[in-house]
Amino acid sequence: MNILLLYLLLLKATCTSFSGLASLPMVRADFVVERHLLTDRQLNTAVVAGRTGPGPNGLYLVSVGYFVGGLPGAAVGLLAVMTPAFFILPMMYWIGARANSPRIRGAIRAVVLASAGLLLSSSLPLARDAITGGLSLAIVIVTFLALCFTSVDSAWMMLGAAAVGLAAKLLRI
Amino acid sequence: MIRPRPALARLTQVFLVIGNTTFGGGNPTMAALQRELVDRRGWITQEDYALAYALANITPGTNVLAFCAAVADLILGVRGAIAAVLAVTVPSAVLAVLLTYGYESWRTNSIVMAAIGGTVAAVAGMMWSSVWRLVVPNLGGLWKTARAMVFFGGAFLAAWRFGVTPIPVIAVAVLAGLLWKE
Repeated sequence: MNILLLYLLLLKATCTSFSGLASLPMVRADFVVERHLLTDRQLNTAVVAGRTGPGPNGLYLVSVGYFVGGLPGAAVGLLAVMTPAFFILPMMYWIGARANSPRIRGAIRAVVLASAGLLLSSSLPLARDAITGGLSLAIVIVTFLALCFTSVDSAWMMLGAAAVGLAAKLLRI
Repeated sequence: MIRPRPALARLTQVFLVIGNTTFGGGNPTMAALQRELVDRRGWITQEDYALAYALANITPGTNVLAFCAAVADLILGVRGAIAAVLAVTVPSAVLAVLLTYGYESWRTNSIVMAAIGGTVAAVAGMMWSSVWRLVVPNLGGLWKTARAMVFFGGAFLAAWRFGVTPIPVIAVAVLAGLLWKE
């Protein structure tokens, strides 16, 4: 795939979302559904790779770029993650005073909620791919409850889930 | 009051350490930077922090990177912003590529794939927890909850039931959010 097009597609995903994983629906629509450059399993793996380590959640796009275009793809993935961050500089100077406008805040909240709806929609095929039996279903439920209602770090949940999967394999559960 | 002005290398080091050793995404990282930049070093004021935090939340993309760019810009200008964003992202991005490579290389090993299968299931739970965390702060009171459910449920149905792509959904949400006051 053309590296400039890859950058523009990933940039489109980052520029139309307002948090790390909120870009996932756009990425899935472009790379899995429309262009067939990734499978749902690869997209899941990219999210795992991006979330296992430290740093911003949006770094899963670096893994997406790596899957699609190797190391140059990873580099443009990183560039697409970094680019929108600099939009804040003119905002700091020119529209900082309007940040608390009720109308602006209302629009932002609407976008955040719509992003959540889109994220739920795009997570369902990924979940169908991930849930292969009772054990994986239990991991999904425990992870959801732990991350919603405790302050446990998501990286620990990943490591715990890996340990459970490994133990189940070794014990032939 | 004159605030201390660090060297570029010192500023980069602070963002490098905090950005690449704090797990859990944006909010823990921004909290750690608040302690370091406001309380410990006095490089920015609490008001600076609050403005950067508010604007980062309405900047597209990864909020914590916008936040880093904003506070580093306040401290050392555009060169500080560029250095901070690079310091926070590049080492973690290299690690993400190594992990992706590792996951793909071990694909034929059934033991490793069992472990990866566990993490893939955890990702599904994690995505649903992200949905929960995005929606719950917008609930409270009948009118506010109804408004939240219309935007959340409407976007979900548009994408899931009718296959509408994300950009039109977001565009409609912006327009409706501007017109429908909270």
